[in-house]
Amino acid sequence: MSTLIAGVGYHNLRDLSFGPVLVTLLQKMNWPPYVEIDDWSWGPIAIVQQLETQPNHYERMVFIGAVERGREHGQVYPYRWDKPLPSADEIQQRIGEAIMGVVSLDSLLIIMQHFKVMPREVFVVEVEPEDCEFGDGFSQGVAALRDEVIAEVRQWVVESVVSNP
Amino acid sequence: MCFKNLPIEFDASGKAHLREGVRDPYAYQSLSLHEQADKVKELLARNGHIKSVDFDPVTRVAGALAFHSVVDLKERKVIETNSMATLFRGYEVILKGRDPRDAAFISSRACGVCGGVHSTASALALEMAFPVKPPPLGIAVRNLMLALEFWYDNPLHLFLLAGPDYSESIVRTTNPEIWERATRTAAPYAKVHGYRTIAEIMTDLNPLSGSLYLEGLAMTRTAREAYVLVGAKYPHPETVIPGGMSTTVTITTFNEIYSRLSQLFDYCKKTALIWDDICDFFYDANPEYKKVGARPANLIDPGIWDDPFAYDASYENCNEWGDRRWATPGVIVDGELVTTQLQALNFGIEEFVEHSYYEQWGGHRYRTDPSGNPLSPYHMWNKETKPAPSGQNWREKYSWATAPRWDRKAMESECATRLWTIAASKKMPHTRFIEGTGHSVKMHVPESTLPDMDLEWKIPQVWNTFERNRGRAYHLVLTTCVAFDNWLIGLDLLKQGHTKVHTEFEVPRKGEHIGAGFWGAGRGFLTHHCTIDNGAISNYQILTPSTWNASPRDPWGNPGPYEEAVLNTPILETFKDAKDYKGIDILRTIRSFDPCMPCTTHIAVEGSDHVIMREVNTCACGIED
Repeated sequence: MSTLIAGVGYHNLRDLSFGPVLVTLLQKMNWPPYVEIDDWSWGPIAIVQQLETQPNHYERMVFIGAVERGREHGQVYPYRWDKPLPSADEIQQRIGEAIMGVVSLDSLLIIMQHFKVMPREVFVVEVEPEDCEFGDGFSQGVAALRDEVIAEVRQWVVESVVSNP
Repeated sequence: MCFKNLPIEFDASGKAHLREGVRDPYAYQSLSLHEQADKVKELLARNGHIKSVDFDPVTRVAGALAFHSVVDLKERKVIETNSMATLFRGYEVILKGRDPRDAAFISSRACGVCGGVHSTASALALEMAFPVKPPPLGIAVRNLMLALEFWYDNPLHLFLLAGPDYSESIVRTTNPEIWERATRTAAPYAKVHGYRTIAEIMTDLNPLSGSLYLEGLAMTRTAREAYVLVGAKYPHPETVIPGGMSTTVTITTFNEIYSRLSQLFDYCKKTALIWDDICDFFYDANPEYKKVGARPANLIDPGIWDDPFAYDASYENCNEWGDRRWATPGVIVDGELVTTQLQALNFGIEEFVEHSYYEQWGGHRYRTDPSGNPLSPYHMWNKETKPAPSGQNWREKYSWATAPRWDRKAMESECATRLWTIAASKKMPHTRFIEGTGHSVKMHVPESTLPDMDLEWKIPQVWNTFERNRGRAYHLVLTTCVAFDNWLIGLDLLKQGHTKVHTEFEVPRKGEHIGAGFWGAGRGFLTHHCTIDNGAISNYQILTPSTWNASPRDPWGNPGPYEEAVLNTPILETFKDAKDYKGIDILRTIRSFDPCMPCTTHIAVEGSDHVIMREVNTCACGIED
């Protein structure tokens, strides 16, 4: 099953850079040949246009990122992306931000879903950032979650835990 | 004599000097805003029909902009406005102390849409400071690439950001009578763009579903594809450097670019005529629309796209090479072109911070420019960036934007200024596809699926919201012609064996060197000014189009362009009750400027000479009246 693992986030913003930084680690590990690992911290519209040129290229996508949602720190938050689309106004606002260069995991997922370029199986592995200042490295709490996130991603990808719709 | 407020005169040889006998030529007295603010507060308290209407953030603009207005819904007029840039762009601070070669790459990050224009302005500033002159092919390729960048910028604004304001979904809600009229109004240019009625255009401007909206999105791809063939990366190119370009271009590169460029020929014809139809329809429907967003045509643009055989990067000769640009530099005051001299344009600029979140800097390091013209202590070569977000209220400080002024007047920055200066000056020498007539610009767009076509942009009688949008649509035509002209020049140079795109340079390790990059962005004016001391950047100043346009009030209490344009806007929206009021006329006006308030927030960390962010987002919600 052709699978993408992608990190999304700004670089050099401590925990908020969790996705793209983790991708560089994952790329050094062994993965089955059907797995591609990439940093997708670039324009959602460009990503949509790229996916439109290769329809159904990926059957599964796993995204990694740190998103501030006011949740408890020190935990991994994995979930399947099966949310309904937000209002047209919100989608439009997110498209506007995306074309202006804003990097956001939520915007990417919503815009991909809106333009119907998502595979059926999309999973997200998130952490709640603790330190969002400028700089490299993670807070202690988020750094401690690294192996758990990798294990979670591997589980989604390798062990094929996908539930049938 | 182009200066009316600054005490600057010119001698018989055209050299500028300060008027004799003026003791402190740049001194001024600031006007307090307290009286006006108290008056508005009282009006608000006494009258139920006078409302405070805040847009925070203003949506469908790049980055963060808040806009405060007080409107009289009974009289249908705006009585108070404040434009507030809510984010700090601290590249001036970040660049201090760095190797000048970093500047093009770091300053590019000032914008997530048009990084290439910053790279280029930076490269030009350094070319002047070092000095180094690029070879002709390097200049032609740079022109081509930077014309293509506008092919991302302008369609995006016209169809994704401003376009929805004229769409069926908005117009039906805010002005049902206009929508009804649109359904029975034939579109004059139907034969070119294919829309029978104005209503059909409006329907296709609907966000998310309209085909003009979706096509605008798709065009960004075509533009990016062509751009990265020479820029390597978008939006922050890797190949724009002082001395030219750091990429190899071949006939194949040119052919690949042409395959994209030819797609733009038809698109720009359609775009210009669609916006002609929209603008003229609104004027016919209600002539009051001519007053929406109107302000005096006070416009400024340093010109863009250098003549590969004339540009020598020097300040001393910039009046001459400026005149040979595809877009002639110019300052327009009350609709009249007052100068095309880059030097006069440069030394007439000052930046004020009375109502901005900065401390006033001291000192007057450069009393003259490199050609001996007088320079104000408030000029960018003398300015220092000292962030200080204090005194947050409409009477004192309310914006991260400064108040730039030319000859102490609030000037507007628009890409259409280029059309205006080409038209009025008749100096533009590259006439293969473009011709300034004195009152218009005629542009010849080659054949593609549609036949070749002559399009003409005319200097408008009024300068308002609609003309800004129409001007941007025609700027796309200009951009296409410039790109194709430079494509042909570049190809010719390659055929002749002139393949060099870069000139070697040395960073001067000793002494003091200054430079200015005079360039332009999709929205208009862009300059970078730098000072290099002993091999490191000691001062760097970026002046963007949106800094001009989003300017808060100046020391004399004069509003910035957004503020002035909204103040002059009649409320033409249809509503029965105040709660139904959407503010579409105000929003159309603000968006017509194509605001770009860079979204990256950076500030110096205490105790460090480097970066970055903390408490720099100053939203309007907590501001005191």
